[in-house]
Amino acid sequence: MSAGIGCRDLRVHAGGRELLSVPELHVASGRTLAVLGPNGAGKSTLLRALGLLSSHRVSGQILLDGRPATRSQMRDAIGAVLQRPILRRGTVADNVISGLRFRGVSRREARDRARPWIEALALGPLADRDARSLSIGEAQRVSITRALAAGPRVLLLDEPFTGLDSTTRADLLADLRAALTGQPTATIMVTHDRQEALALAEETALLIGGRIRQHGPTTDVLDQPGDPDTARLLGYTNLLPPALTGLAETLVARPEHTRLVLDSHDEHDDDTRSVTGTLRRTVALGIATRVDVDTSAGPLTCLHPGDVLATELPPTGGEVRVRIRHARSLNDADQDEPAARLASGTRASTP
Amino acid sequence: MDVLFGGFADAIRLLLSGDEDSWSITALTLRVSLTATAIALLVGLPLGAIVALARFPGRRILLAAANTGMGMPPVVVGLFVTVLLWRSGPLGGLGLLYTPTAMIVAQAAIATPIVIALVAAALQQVDPDFRVQMRGLGATPIRALVALLGEARLPLLAGAMAAFGAVVSEVGAAQMVGGNLVGQTRVLTTAAVLATSRGQFSLAIAFGMILLLIAFGVNLSLTLIQQQRTAPR
Repeated sequence: MSAGIGCRDLRVHAGGRELLSVPELHVASGRTLAVLGPNGAGKSTLLRALGLLSSHRVSGQILLDGRPATRSQMRDAIGAVLQRPILRRGTVADNVISGLRFRGVSRREARDRARPWIEALALGPLADRDARSLSIGEAQRVSITRALAAGPRVLLLDEPFTGLDSTTRADLLADLRAALTGQPTATIMVTHDRQEALALAEETALLIGGRIRQHGPTTDVLDQPGDPDTARLLGYTNLLPPALTGLAETLVARPEHTRLVLDSHDEHDDDTRSVTGTLRRTVALGIATRVDVDTSAGPLTCLHPGDVLATELPPTGGEVRVRIRHARSLNDADQDEPAARLASGTRASTP
Repeated sequence: MDVLFGGFADAIRLLLSGDEDSWSITALTLRVSLTATAIALLVGLPLGAIVALARFPGRRILLAAANTGMGMPPVVVGLFVTVLLWRSGPLGGLGLLYTPTAMIVAQAAIATPIVIALVAAALQQVDPDFRVQMRGLGATPIRALVALLGEARLPLLAGAMAAFGAVVSEVGAAQMVGGNLVGQTRVLTTAAVLATSRGQFSLAIAFGMILLLIAFGVNLSLTLIQQQRTAPR
């Protein structure tokens, strides 16, 4: 098997409950896997189990370069970044070298080896600052630099961008992407953000309820939900069952692709993709207007760019027509074979 | 007021004259209290760390017991140790009652719950994922624990100061298990009590001042260590 990190028959239990069950996973050196999942899906549990850092009962095999990893091999291999940046007392530079120091590197050599990383992650001006005086974004930048400076063969990132403002997040994401390029590091990042997965990872796995539902190239996985849960996770929050559309299969659609029919002459456009319901409420969101509609098969959310004039809208409780411009079909069968589902490509059908 | 001012003046004269008895009492006080504090730290540090970091049934009860122990009256501890070491008691055969060793045992028993409770509180203040993060950077579990102790250095040293402060100033247990025997088990607190009861106020004030100086000296050293700016290793 190629170099990298993986697992076989990995199961994590806590309090008599199975938190995670992953039959097989492998991330090759130089590649990045995003594990995308909602809160409580077991993302951090998976990451910690892979790094042999879990406090729960873990069974199965964690593999380094295809062979079962010992604790000491894993210790030498990993660099971890947790969701909250946990820094030690001392300066930024002291923190950045601490991974190298744990690996027995002398202080002087550690400083030399950390310097390029401090420059690459733009921490030069902060190097002598007390780590306690940093903002959350700066602290997370230090935490990421510290993990990279240790020269890990396996980089574990646990939602490293959560809680950062959008500018800080975008900058750090770009710097991390640039820093990882060309490195022989197998990176696993857990996140609930699709944009982060797109920006960093060649591969994405969808983790829901402790199980990987889909796994494949990021662009494919993000656009091909296999079931209602993964559809919701990927932003396809509007579920259109056969009873509503009259089609043989369930469709899913993003709110931004779901619009009220406001002008009667575009109604004939594509009748099979339009449904009727009653208008529940409209909410102005500045750059868009959200319209919630109740149908016989459940609620739908429409997102209209800009302001929809109140005069254009029927009154609350009135009957409206909703057109779905871009939907994906779900095949609810073979839930247990996500890879086969993905490989078949049937999910990619675009109405 | 004359008694007070006169007492202070006499006390300073006594201290400057280098009275031999006072010095031996001071030396014994330091020996007993520092040894008791050291024992309490040796026992209390690992126990406090276990209570703070491990998960086992009865953990909270143990922590509550340690917290209660922080407020235990020294007289009660003295009573238990006396009964244990009494000639006909379970440990009477050791012949330790009315020796400095008995005083060390009693004072260590007073200080240990303080150390356990304050160590547990100190370690629980640090982020619960601290050790996981350190291990995630390649630290062994021991190294991660040492890093955690370094991180909690300030409150840990505050715990050591509290423990020393509690034992050096207590009089009940020292009196009961030591017996205040001149030249053998007389320490500054018991000597001050005796001097006061005899109306020798200047002597009592002198002992009190030495006691304050010792407490200040020890706490100053610990504070200097505590406030030292050291980089993580």
